[in-house]
Amino acid sequence: MATQPLIKIKDGKKYFYRFSAIQRAQHITIASSVIVLALTGMPLKFPDAPWAPSLYALFGGIKMAPIIHKTAGTILFLLFVFHLFYIARSIYTDLVVPLRRKNQLSAVAVLKGILTHPIMPSFRDVRDFAAYLKYLLFLSDKPPEGAKFTWKEKFDYWAPFWGIVVMVGSGFIMWHKELVTRYVSGEIINFALIAHSDEALLATLFLFIWHFYNVHFSTSVFPMGTVFITGYLPEHLMVEEHYDYYRQVMKEAGLEDEILPPPGSRREPVAAEMPAAAPSAASRESLVGGEEA
Amino acid sequence: MRLNAKTIFRWSFSLLAMVLLAPPSVPAADIGNCLLCHKYPGLSRIDEDGRLRLLFINEATMNSSVHARVKCEDCHTDIKKIPHDPAKKVDCLTQCHIVEPTSEQKFSHKEVARFLSKSVHGLKDRDQKPKKHPEDLPSCKDCHDNPLYRPLSIFKQKVHPGISKAALGRCRVCHKKDEFIYRFYNHVTTRLHKIRSPKNIAEICARCHDDAQLAARHGLSTKAVYSYGETFHGKAALFLDERVPDCLDCHVNPGRSVHQMLSYKDSNAITNENNKGLICANMDCHPGASPKLAEYRVHPEFDLERNPYQFYAQVFFLGMTGSVLLPIMGLLFLDLLRRMFPNASLRRRK
Repeated sequence: MATQPLIKIKDGKKYFYRFSAIQRAQHITIASSVIVLALTGMPLKFPDAPWAPSLYALFGGIKMAPIIHKTAGTILFLLFVFHLFYIARSIYTDLVVPLRRKNQLSAVAVLKGILTHPIMPSFRDVRDFAAYLKYLLFLSDKPPEGAKFTWKEKFDYWAPFWGIVVMVGSGFIMWHKELVTRYVSGEIINFALIAHSDEALLATLFLFIWHFYNVHFSTSVFPMGTVFITGYLPEHLMVEEHYDYYRQVMKEAGLEDEILPPPGSRREPVAAEMPAAAPSAASRESLVGGEEA
Repeated sequence: MRLNAKTIFRWSFSLLAMVLLAPPSVPAADIGNCLLCHKYPGLSRIDEDGRLRLLFINEATMNSSVHARVKCEDCHTDIKKIPHDPAKKVDCLTQCHIVEPTSEQKFSHKEVARFLSKSVHGLKDRDQKPKKHPEDLPSCKDCHDNPLYRPLSIFKQKVHPGISKAALGRCRVCHKKDEFIYRFYNHVTTRLHKIRSPKNIAEICARCHDDAQLAARHGLSTKAVYSYGETFHGKAALFLDERVPDCLDCHVNPGRSVHQMLSYKDSNAITNENNKGLICANMDCHPGASPKLAEYRVHPEFDLERNPYQFYAQVFFLGMTGSVLLPIMGLLFLDLLRRMFPNASLRRRK
């Protein structure tokens, strides 16, 4: 697979590489399946609500909607399995193989590599959260200078691990109740229904309020974030959310002189509107791409 | 034309002949010509209790009901003349003039009443002692109205509502009267499935079983139908799914009618602890299922004493939902507020 440039310049604006095509495909799959699951599941959660019959009818009513729901659930489960394989493959190619080449392969080294991966929760997240809270409460004018993945993104990434396990597990019990109750009491279906129904409500509200606000509706991103489609994040969002990582990438690209001030600085011109200079050194070619690169 | 006696006689005779020979527009059961008055939609009166009584009979609806062939005066036995005095309430055990073909006896619902008296809804308990609060126990009209036929068309393994023209063609080979053919077809195919939807049946049972005071008087679990509505079966019933079980499908022994429903304490009841494993595993529901499937609690209630484990599970998920959503909603609000005043701060960076 061709390596994507870390920075793309288009119409004089810089865009920073965030997600590969396979990661974006996984995100679009989980997003669409979760939306379908919510739309076909919520009318059952709230069957007395005035909107429930019309919404259910859109999906073919009680005869068709459960089939669509189970299909979307199966897609979500297959995606989850695929993602586990994707993680395992990434660990192998990005961690095990380089360690083996350096003759440093050991269980401890692999574990250390996994635990220090940018997506893993760390103490820095606690620090950043505390700084964010201080900023929100006007106790500081300096928001946290985020790393490659912020605590919000890690929360968004790890929460579905619990959610999918609960939803797929409880959904499987209710779908295949005859099989499951060969081995355990039928009372497990009651627990599965509680877990499925309540976790679904939590996940739906979490995604459609918190996640959508952060990636689409906050004043910096509104009306819609495009990183989930293009894989690239505009510079002003990179500064606002991932300043530490932004500085690191800019330095690696030899663009130190173009690094914008950190978030929380007095807003003069909007960062996104500042003209970006064209890269000057040939060494930047692999890091900087786009029409002007 | 001159109006002489002969002409008047001719016209009168013709009119009389038209009236007498015209095809009847009233149902065959309206021998007493009750629809002469009751066909008018506005026909009503205020009764002694001050309630408005609608007395209109929709002829088309009546003709599509299971009582279409029963003469009005067979049930309203106190009406002997027209116009009549206020009619008494109908006694469903009255013998009507319909002849039951297998016994060739006049039909009545007395046998149903006999079944009901021995059921969980009977006035006496298993020791034949009168039950307390007999006024709470249902009689015919507490559950039944005059149900309409719901014929089924079954053709080449496809089943849908309505009458199969192909089947009618075969009926006409032997039977000559279409009125009989339609009635018999309706009578049989309506009983091949249920007249009422699961939602409708649950609503009928809820009249008593979701009445907290009535349930308490009889030591019943409160809100039995509400708790059914919390299950997938109940929710699907609300969306008018007729494939899901209603109250009667589980509470009535196979091969028996609703009028023979037994208490779960009765060792012969399908709902008895020793038998209920057979409820779910029948061929029409979950064929081949283990008896353990019936250990599923169909009437789960958020009740610490009755369902402690489910109660705690529910509390856990409710707690988790609140502990996640409330803080993030707070953060979201603060974030929006902060964005309105990006340069404001109680402590300024140097």
